[in-house]
Amino acid sequence: MVHDMGSKPMRDKKYRFLSQPRRVVEDRRFVAGKGKYIADYDRADMAHVALMPCHLPAARIDAIDASAALDMLGVIDVVTGAELVAAIDPLMNGLDTPKVRRYPLAVGQVRYAGEWVCAVIAESRAIAEDAIEHIRLETTALPYVLDPEQALRDDSPLVHPDHNSNVLLDKKFVWGPVDDDFAAADHQLNFCVTWGRNSTVPIETFGVVAEWNAWEQMLDIRASVQMPKYADQIAHALGLAGNQVRVHYDIDVGGSYGVKRGIKHAVLIGYLARKLHRPVRLIEDRLENMRAGDAHGPERKFDVSVAFDKDGTVRSMKMRALDNAGAYAGRAPFQLGKPIGAIVGPYRIGSVAYQAISVTTNKAAQEAVRGFGQAPTNYALETAMDRVSAFLDMDRLALRQHNFIKTDEFPYLIPSGSTYDSGDYHTVIDKVMAAAEYPKLVATCNQLRKDGMMAGIGIATCLEPSGGNSSFEPLLNERNQTTTWMESCQINIDALGTVTARIHTTSSGQGHETLVSTVIGEILGIDPDSIRVVRPNSLESLPGNSPVGSRMAIMLGGAAARAAEKLKAKIIAIAAHHLQCDATRIDYQGGAMLSANGRHITWDDIIESAHRQIHQLPDGMDPGLASFDIMQVPTGGDLPKDGKVHMYPCYSFEFHLVLVAFDPIIGKPEIRSYTIGHDCGTVINPAIVSGMTYGGIAHGIGAALLEEFAYDESGQLMTQSFLDYLMPSSHEVPDIQLVKYCTPSPHTVFGQKGSGESGYLGAPAAISSAINHAVAGLDISFDKLPIRMSVISDKIAAATHHRSDSG
Amino acid sequence: MKLNFSGKETIDVAPQTLWDAVIDPEILQKVVPGCREMRAVGKAEYIMALDLKVAAVGGSFEGKIALFDMHPPARCQITVSGEGTLGTGTGSASVVIADEGDGKSSISYEADGDVGGLVAGVGQRVLMGVAKHLTRQFFTSLKKQFTNPSTA
Repeated sequence: MVHDMGSKPMRDKKYRFLSQPRRVVEDRRFVAGKGKYIADYDRADMAHVALMPCHLPAARIDAIDASAALDMLGVIDVVTGAELVAAIDPLMNGLDTPKVRRYPLAVGQVRYAGEWVCAVIAESRAIAEDAIEHIRLETTALPYVLDPEQALRDDSPLVHPDHNSNVLLDKKFVWGPVDDDFAAADHQLNFCVTWGRNSTVPIETFGVVAEWNAWEQMLDIRASVQMPKYADQIAHALGLAGNQVRVHYDIDVGGSYGVKRGIKHAVLIGYLARKLHRPVRLIEDRLENMRAGDAHGPERKFDVSVAFDKDGTVRSMKMRALDNAGAYAGRAPFQLGKPIGAIVGPYRIGSVAYQAISVTTNKAAQEAVRGFGQAPTNYALETAMDRVSAFLDMDRLALRQHNFIKTDEFPYLIPSGSTYDSGDYHTVIDKVMAAAEYPKLVATCNQLRKDGMMAGIGIATCLEPSGGNSSFEPLLNERNQTTTWMESCQINIDALGTVTARIHTTSSGQGHETLVSTVIGEILGIDPDSIRVVRPNSLESLPGNSPVGSRMAIMLGGAAARAAEKLKAKIIAIAAHHLQCDATRIDYQGGAMLSANGRHITWDDIIESAHRQIHQLPDGMDPGLASFDIMQVPTGGDLPKDGKVHMYPCYSFEFHLVLVAFDPIIGKPEIRSYTIGHDCGTVINPAIVSGMTYGGIAHGIGAALLEEFAYDESGQLMTQSFLDYLMPSSHEVPDIQLVKYCTPSPHTVFGQKGSGESGYLGAPAAISSAINHAVAGLDISFDKLPIRMSVISDKIAAATHHRSDSG
Repeated sequence: MKLNFSGKETIDVAPQTLWDAVIDPEILQKVVPGCREMRAVGKAEYIMALDLKVAAVGGSFEGKIALFDMHPPARCQITVSGEGTLGTGTGSASVVIADEGDGKSSISYEADGDVGGLVAGVGQRVLMGVAKHLTRQFFTSLKKQFTNPSTA
């Protein structure tokens, strides 16, 4: 849908500010080093916190003796889980598992290595860390379980004995005639792939400052956070009224992509601030963050069966997804739910059986990560497409093109109940193949092979469900009746005629100030750089759900556009009143109003009337120029029925084409060429979308080749610092060619779709595809991410050794 | 993470002298690398406090040592368990002392350990090397103890 810019036809370009190459507003302060992060927030009498971990994966806490620590100069207090459990409520849990309780500190039992058992509060962080050495922790080791399949067995140790099972969630869905389709298909094949536990690991760890004002009975929270309903959750756990918690959104967040949830931290620090009547700060160090910051992503095993015909038509799929949630529930199990909204990817698969299982184990608790579980599912789906191609000896791309939903089939209802909005997958493929000069790419691949290298071309196509609805909550938990996931924006035009917009969230690099000022500027026809975007605190805010689920272009952009439209209508009404003509005859142009008869009224006159001259306003019109909008997710609002629900308003598409090469002995994959085709509908700011996509691909390279929170058999985290948790650097991330295409969404204000998860959703699948293509001649395959250099070299060595033995 | 290592050292003292030395907390405090404190809390039980540096991390470790299955001066079993800022550690070792004649004896050991926390997560790559290094340091100090007790 093209937004109607006014009564005149569009001139040379469709938009004046939207989609134009404009600087990102936030970048000015970030590039100059003038961002205002949580660590920049200081208070004179602030107390500092360090957290004492227990290093056993499962243990009973027998005693904690903090007397020596409390005797130290500068130590203020030591707080344990036993103290908390008497004073606060458990953290909110989206599932119906009331016996899986979680508190900020371990209560009675430690459930993963590194779990925090007590918090030391001192005059400085250094003193608090030193004091930890003087706390005596007595524990009795308990049996533990790390593997999710083992956790399902009857004889497994229980992570939460009261829950009487390690299963948090086990839902079976059958959408369509799966058995019939399998019976009718020419072939079927089965495989298993595993997505390793990786995350986003921002450079800035999580941080929070809490202050309690006893005279106002107010808890002020500043945090490096990206969490829906943060203030509500803090108030709930601390037993405060909703209007006793004030979360300040004007803190820059140094990276998140899902993981900066910080709820246990904020509840703990809020409790301490109230108890001690002092501002209290916790900023995780890297070890606290990596081991116990609730910042690990999905760890998921897929068992997949696909039924298909000789001509490559994929008829049906059975998928069992077993996710290792770690020690507590959190929102992690819902990450099995989001992929239901795009369970068939861009393909016309007619029926699907899906089993989603989430189990507790003695690993760190999992939290949301970019894509909320979609990237692992895309990896499984794309592996299926590659396996079917190999089985039929059919070109991998041709197979995909054969199964794609065609552009004239939209809106397209998938078996699990979601309706895809729009797309033109075939065209994106064609454009990418042309841009990447595919025949040349194949020639390069062949030449590399001739030169003794292993080389392969990887392809992956996938969807990015966007708009950030939360329909998976009622789908996975019948007691949860969430049907809205709104977002809001307020706009005020002051008496001097300048525009200020309010948004009600923190941002972690998504450029929301740019988004909102561009959208409002476009609609009001004024320079976005003259529009100020501010972030009030949660008590001055309208309801919202924070930047999750690739939603803000659609939802915050949508709310801003709708609020601006309301203002524009009022401005036009004032103009029409002045010019004594019908509002439909007003030709609105930013800065001046022209009527059909050539008379005009200026912007300044409108402002003057609205702010000072109610006698110049139409009868009954309120003074001032202010508006707000609380927007419901387009197409959302229904509860699930028969295991089906429509989930997301918009579906972005991406196609990755990569060339990977490596020496067969060393096995270190190098990405020689990377092209991505990306269609996220109408782009609001091109620099933001490109940045998201490049960053997402870098993140995906990490997931495919390097990053993993790896535990050894004793339950110890082996990758708890950047020595071992490897992230892609400029050495590993190649030049990326980005091919943009635009299929507008019919459901959004400008036709925009989401792009906050782009790149990451398909890059791991594409790189896996390339490596498996490279080694296909050896009859080996890699079915677990990350595909580490050592695994590649070992497996090739074993395969070639075996061949020379048998040859 | 699991660790296991074994070795054998020859020392220029008779088995009984060696035995007496390795169960004497005062001597052990001098010869165990990084040992801040070693005191007996029972007939064959000790409390030990160490300050160690492993790879990029340093910190303290406090633990209990217990000797059992003791057959002086020929063999015994040792268990260690404790924790500190470096992490946790548990281990057991079997030690055999043999008379090699000429006033010499040999000491053989086989040890299994399980470490967790910082030392496992950050020091993993060098942990075996560090364990060997510390063992070597222990025996060097122990030998010095016999040749020149005042300097050890």
